[in-house]
Amino acid sequence: MRGTFLARLGKLWLACILFFLYAPILVMAFMSFNASQYYQLPFEFSLKWYEKLAGNSEIIDAATRSVGIALVTTLIATILGTAASVALFRFEFRGKRFLQIMLFPPIAIPWLITGTAMLIFFFGVGLGRGTPSVIIGHVALALPYVIVVVSARLATFDATLEEAARSLGADSWTVTRRVTLPWISSGIIAGALFAFAVSFDQFVVSYFLSEPGDSTLPVLIYTSIRKGFTPEINAVSTIIIVISMAVMLIAARFSNFGGER
Amino acid sequence: MKNKHLFVTAIAAVLSVSSAQADEIRVLNWQGYGTDLDWAVSEFSDATGHTVVHEYFNSEQEMLTKLRTNPGAYDVVLINAAFTPQSQSEGLIGPIDTSKIANLGDVPADLIGNQDLNAGGALHGVPWTWGLTSFAVNRNDFAEAPTSIEVFWDDNFKGKVSIRDDALEAVQFAAIATGQNINDISDLDAVEAKLAALMPQIKTYWGSENDWNQFMAAGDLSVATFWSGSASRSMSAGLPVQFVVPQEGAIGWLDGLSIPSSSTKQDAAHAFINWMIDPDFYVRWAAEGAPASANAKAAAALPDDAFNKRVLGDPEVVARVQFQRPVSDENREKYLELWQGLKAAQ
Amino acid sequence: MSARLANHDRLRIVGLLSPAYLWLTVAIFLPLSAMFYFSFLSDVPFGNTEWTYTTENYAAFFQTSTYATLLWKSIRLGLIVTVIAVLVGFPCAYVLAKVIKGRSREALFLLVILPFWSNSLVRIFSWAIVLRGNGVLDLGLNAILPFEVDVNLMFSTPAIVIGLVHSYLPYVILTCYLALQAIDDNLIDAARSMGASKFTILWRVILPLSLPGLLAGAVLIFVPVVGSFMEPRILGGRVGTYYGTVIEDQFVAVFNWPLGAALSFILLAVVLLILAVASPVLKRAQT
Repeated sequence: MRGTFLARLGKLWLACILFFLYAPILVMAFMSFNASQYYQLPFEFSLKWYEKLAGNSEIIDAATRSVGIALVTTLIATILGTAASVALFRFEFRGKRFLQIMLFPPIAIPWLITGTAMLIFFFGVGLGRGTPSVIIGHVALALPYVIVVVSARLATFDATLEEAARSLGADSWTVTRRVTLPWISSGIIAGALFAFAVSFDQFVVSYFLSEPGDSTLPVLIYTSIRKGFTPEINAVSTIIIVISMAVMLIAARFSNFGGER
Repeated sequence: MKNKHLFVTAIAAVLSVSSAQADEIRVLNWQGYGTDLDWAVSEFSDATGHTVVHEYFNSEQEMLTKLRTNPGAYDVVLINAAFTPQSQSEGLIGPIDTSKIANLGDVPADLIGNQDLNAGGALHGVPWTWGLTSFAVNRNDFAEAPTSIEVFWDDNFKGKVSIRDDALEAVQFAAIATGQNINDISDLDAVEAKLAALMPQIKTYWGSENDWNQFMAAGDLSVATFWSGSASRSMSAGLPVQFVVPQEGAIGWLDGLSIPSSSTKQDAAHAFINWMIDPDFYVRWAAEGAPASANAKAAAALPDDAFNKRVLGDPEVVARVQFQRPVSDENREKYLELWQGLKAAQ
Repeated sequence: MSARLANHDRLRIVGLLSPAYLWLTVAIFLPLSAMFYFSFLSDVPFGNTEWTYTTENYAAFFQTSTYATLLWKSIRLGLIVTVIAVLVGFPCAYVLAKVIKGRSREALFLLVILPFWSNSLVRIFSWAIVLRGNGVLDLGLNAILPFEVDVNLMFSTPAIVIGLVHSYLPYVILTCYLALQAIDDNLIDAARSMGASKFTILWRVILPLSLPGLLAGAVLIFVPVVGSFMEPRILGGRVGTYYGTVIEDQFVAVFNWPLGAALSFILLAVVLLILAVASPVLKRAQT
């Protein structure tokens, strides 16, 4: 068959990239089983960081809190972001270009500045700190990513499909539900994955806006750099990655994500 | 002014939330810096009934920002004496009620009388710990510890040197190397030239104790600036390092514990500070690696081979130390510009 | 679509857009406007500080060459990282979208995104362990190769590029995948049956059709990389000073928020300018 050689080469390339993407993850996991506190080589097997982690409620609480906040953020950002993308795609109106451009400041301005700005502003309007403020901040940071990703998928959408459905008498809501949404479902899922990643890794906003004692995992990691973070952090990261991998693979098994058209 | 109005409303909002009287005190400090030791906090809770919650900062500027933007949120805060006058003049911290701190009687008069801690004419920070910013060497690379700061410019250690990525510290370090007063640098050009000559020697900058330990453990560095308290911790963790106070001198700093003027739990805050300068607490902390105590009784109670007694207890060493005074905003900007210019040229 | 909007369309637009944009307004645009206002002040208006209106913070950018040098260095870094990520990621997305079939595709796709769910700081520190002298890469290569090599990439520009490409690669793979997957296979077959070469198909069919995704990915990489400071600092060591670093210093080290804000808005303006200049060129390439 033609292209077999190229196809093989392509798969090899994909394998190389996966290896590249996972190299630091593997090292991270590997070091969680290494006895040295300072990540020294040669490797010496030990489970002590997992034992310590089991007794460290601070890290476990922070990790649970982070997952919770990330899930809520993902849900809100994905819904709001998808709605906005659909409007930006479907309609022509004045100021549309401006609205699209306004998605870039949150991405371009370093999170440190945005976080500081949020701190001052939330404090100024009396919103103060706490988990609601953290979620408001996370959703806002995740939204532009969701809109950009979903819009990229929508841009490939053939508008004549909608026209056709409409000409067959379908009302606008039916068109959206039966034609548009199925087409962009993979974009929505991808947007959701991004939103989760943005929230789960976000430390600046959480750092400024969370109550003391209510810190998230990235905040804990960031602040523990000073004292020295121990391989306990590697251990908890490894556990999280393994769990999410399992959940994702199960989800992929039972869904038709990115599936056939 | 509109902003003032905003500010006041916000303070009112925050205060109304925290007005419920509870004996939970919030401490603002560097992470892993004594006050948050598990055993100390739990013993304090057992003894007094007050519970302790910690929040951390990563720079003095961040600490000030937190005090400014969260009035009422903190009850005890660690402030470097060089920042006490600024905190006092901004109204962030209040005077200490010395009658509530029994252990203050064991603190030497010269520390209690420190002019920075007594900003505004009253004691605003209880002298707690002090230490040095000097340097440490990797014993694997040195048969004998160097005695001069010039080791940083030694060709043999090119690419094995590190200093902290901090404009003030870098400038003061070079001021010592050029024989100047760190609090009144007359020849900034000499400082700049000295630092420019240092840049090619540097492998990387370090940012935290954690970085430092990892670089040393990996053998990346031979000689790097370091804090005395951190050095004692690294040594007790088994790293092959030795702390050096060179003949040219070293930077000294004094940390005090202060109480924000907006704190509503003054009694518990004073009790906690008293607990923290207690000799019993200090001796146990020092065993894990601590800076030097401001409490003379605590310092005397250390075993003779303890780092803080051996190195920092030596009067000849102390004579070489230049203690940090407050730095004006103008100088701080100037130092940062100098340091950024040097870094950008790399 | 018609230029005149029916009333119910207008309602629909508002209904769909306002939740997202109201949220962005409250949490980002208003706070950033406050920062923008600060960038014209001589000091932060907290407590009893004295302040005046000034444009000095913007003028400061031009007073020394430091900022311009670093901004140019950051833009170059952004371009390098973006180009590498696109060159590496596009073929990868193509293989995922067009070569691999069936269930394994979804699984592989999720595997590409998953590393993203780990903490970035932990990832960077892991790269440090890989890249440093006597590190994983050094030990690994020496175990495989018959001759001695001395690999120490740590604290160099390549280390920064590796770390950043790794952090942002999933963006471009993801957006390209979404676009490529939307291309009808029949179209490619048709081109092929008309005798188009592989290169022609790629250049005239696949690339133009997947361009929206590719561009979205490139923008999502370029924009944040220009302002990055964490990866360059940890992996770059002495050479890791970029524009993001000086902004961070103003906020963290000297509490000069007005200057830090002014520098950020200059960054934003330059980035938007680059995107504005690039977009007509890219639009022409699309047709």
